[in-house]
Amino acid sequence: MQQFFAILKDSFREAMDGFVIYAMLVMSALVILLLGSLSFAPSEPNDAFTHIVGNFEDAVVEGGRLRGVLRQYAHFRVEDVRSDGNGYKLRLLVTAERRTNIDDSVDQPKEGDKKEGDKKEPEKYKGDGFRQLVLVWTKLKPERNELPFLQPVRVTSDELKNLTDEQFENYIKKQFDFHAGMNVTVKRVVTGFTEPEYAFDVTTTGGTAVRGWPHKVSLLFGTWTLPVPINLGETLFWIQDRLVNGVGAALALLISVVLTAFYIPNMLRKGSIDLLISKPLGRTQLLVYKYIGGLTFIFILTAFTVGGVWLALAARSGVWDLSFLIVIPVLTFTFAILYAVSTFAAVFTRSAIVSILLAVAFAVFLYIVGFVKTIFDTIKSNDRARKEMPEWPFTLVDTLNNILPRYKDLDKLTTKLLSTGTLTQAEMRERTIDVLDYPSWGSTLGVSLAFIVVMLALSCWRLNRRDY
Amino acid sequence: MAVIETKDLWKTYGRIEALKGVSLKVEKGQIYGLLGQNGAGKTTLIKILLGIVQLTHGEALLLSNPAGSIDVRRRVGYLPEDHAFPNYHTGYSLMDFYGSLYGVPATVRKQKIPETLEMVGIAGRMHSKIKTYSKGMKQRLGIAQALLHDPELIILDEPTDGVDPMGRREIRELMSMLKEKGHTIFLNSHLLGEVELICDRVAILQQGKLVREGTIADLTKTKGTYILGLLAGQTFPVEAVTQLGFPVRPMPDQPGHFEVTLPEGKTIEPVMKLLSEKGLTVIHIVEKKQSLEDVFMTTVEGAEPGVDRKPRRRGTARPVGGGD
Repeated sequence: MQQFFAILKDSFREAMDGFVIYAMLVMSALVILLLGSLSFAPSEPNDAFTHIVGNFEDAVVEGGRLRGVLRQYAHFRVEDVRSDGNGYKLRLLVTAERRTNIDDSVDQPKEGDKKEGDKKEPEKYKGDGFRQLVLVWTKLKPERNELPFLQPVRVTSDELKNLTDEQFENYIKKQFDFHAGMNVTVKRVVTGFTEPEYAFDVTTTGGTAVRGWPHKVSLLFGTWTLPVPINLGETLFWIQDRLVNGVGAALALLISVVLTAFYIPNMLRKGSIDLLISKPLGRTQLLVYKYIGGLTFIFILTAFTVGGVWLALAARSGVWDLSFLIVIPVLTFTFAILYAVSTFAAVFTRSAIVSILLAVAFAVFLYIVGFVKTIFDTIKSNDRARKEMPEWPFTLVDTLNNILPRYKDLDKLTTKLLSTGTLTQAEMRERTIDVLDYPSWGSTLGVSLAFIVVMLALSCWRLNRRDY
Repeated sequence: MAVIETKDLWKTYGRIEALKGVSLKVEKGQIYGLLGQNGAGKTTLIKILLGIVQLTHGEALLLSNPAGSIDVRRRVGYLPEDHAFPNYHTGYSLMDFYGSLYGVPATVRKQKIPETLEMVGIAGRMHSKIKTYSKGMKQRLGIAQALLHDPELIILDEPTDGVDPMGRREIRELMSMLKEKGHTIFLNSHLLGEVELICDRVAILQQGKLVREGTIADLTKTKGTYILGLLAGQTFPVEAVTQLGFPVRPMPDQPGHFEVTLPEGKTIEPVMKLLSEKGLTVIHIVEKKQSLEDVFMTTVEGAEPGVDRKPRRRGTARPVGGGD
């Protein structure tokens, strides 16, 4: 172990030698300071609930698997919002549009099947938009993988009439949960309201600490405020996933690939490798230790940046969710894949330039494979679309995905993990986060690790056979 | 006990034969010099001993173990030719790094690093970055790292390369001191004067073959040539001696002195008898010796420098290899 730690320490020294690591750390520190100047002020309850129920009008039919929103033919507003213990009490008013035509969620006869009597067909589906919406919602089941636009849900006039108050209440309850992560109790108020007007008494819990509560976000300690309130979780997610795990990670990976690409070729220089091989240390050990040592560069950078951002965000927002810290090992592991390719190229060619080009090209290739795989998985989930395509592209993409490191999957899984701690269900749906198919962490890490092992094994084989 | 022993050692790079059946033996406590032109195979031989290059055929033993094994490398210190130390280290941290690789405990390293650097004369700069060192300082650092773990065998490839004359003398003294302490030193150097001064035995490699081997005294002795000087005023009987079958030539830098070469199987006795019969008085007679440089030049005269590496393919840059 003494030799392992010696090489680790040597790699750390090598990583800290150049100015680039310091430039990166300074940049990270500036980002951390900037994020540390963020202020999150919860919106006033009346404004907050108006904002929340306003989203109900563009709600997603969350029972199905659908990206985007399904326009609802009902309008929501709140009144009489007042504080109530750990939450609020309010009245939710719904005004349904009268429907004179059939909307997308109701089956229609095909053009060729129309008969004379069908002219009156639309009339029997007349009703209000709110009832229609609640009925479709009750009939959609996630496990049926339904797409309301492609596979319309059949509803009948009798079903519309027979909806119960409990079904309305459940729908409203679900909307608060879905859009604001808010646990509520709902009671329909019938007295004094005639359809298409509906009223519900709603009692919420969790106060302003729910993830869907809109916040006024200010930068530089209140110097500049965003014009529109944003959900706290959505802001945190944007910073964590898009800024740090997206742009920041790509930048860190690229710079790390470039800088660390010199480590192995430098080690293999005449006069340097002689000295190392003459020490009582196996060549395989030497390369593996050096490889692990090379990972210290990105680990230092990631640990500093992610740890700092996490601390700044948590201190300013009060959300001490640890899931963001997963980015440190994930990003280090992602780099480990690219560094294995870089090491392979370095041992075979002893050229830093070739190592950089190969690692970057491989990263782009993996991203494309992962992206295409995601698209093909979406196509697969729809039988009709699936049948229209030949088999071989699916086989090719699946095979590549099975043998190559899961670069894109790691990103998807991390995004999902980050969203779980920050976003509401509606926000996840808008980003399709909760409707994608996800591989397991085990298979993703396992296949990637196997790839790394193969790359290193080939590199060690070459190093052991070569005369220096 | 032989510290180094090779038997019929061969190394080929494709069609190039870098070593051709080299057999040599280095005993404990010796300073052994390896000489040869560029490309003669000296560095290849050293690298085989350390496991940096794999042998093609034959046997190489180091401290009675197969050369290159990890255990044996623990007992050897090595200074390569054209060493390249990482510039991000200081002298101290580099010693600490290599010492760790040798398994020297931290407490011992802490004590021995300044001592060893003091021994090679760069302790005052041990906390400076290596990139600020002169070539001579780097060379001294290289020697120091080879000594840190107190190895039984020290292999030095061109140890005085880039070192000034004063430094060379210090390094020679250091080697003598190490020898006195019982270390064995295997030295590869182009500086024949130095080798002659400190080595017990010398081997000369020529195009991969061991062409001469022995003690300095044996190698520099010139059998069959004598320098004779007569009493002042006496004339050397060149014609008479020549008629006896002994070639004679005057020594241009020693007036009155003549070089007499013995034909195969003859001794100097007939010449001495003739001079005595002619009443001449011999005041100077010595068997001629030559310098190691003379021996080396005579040995390799006319030979083309060898090549011990594969020929490079056009357009491929190879930062390593290509030593002697």
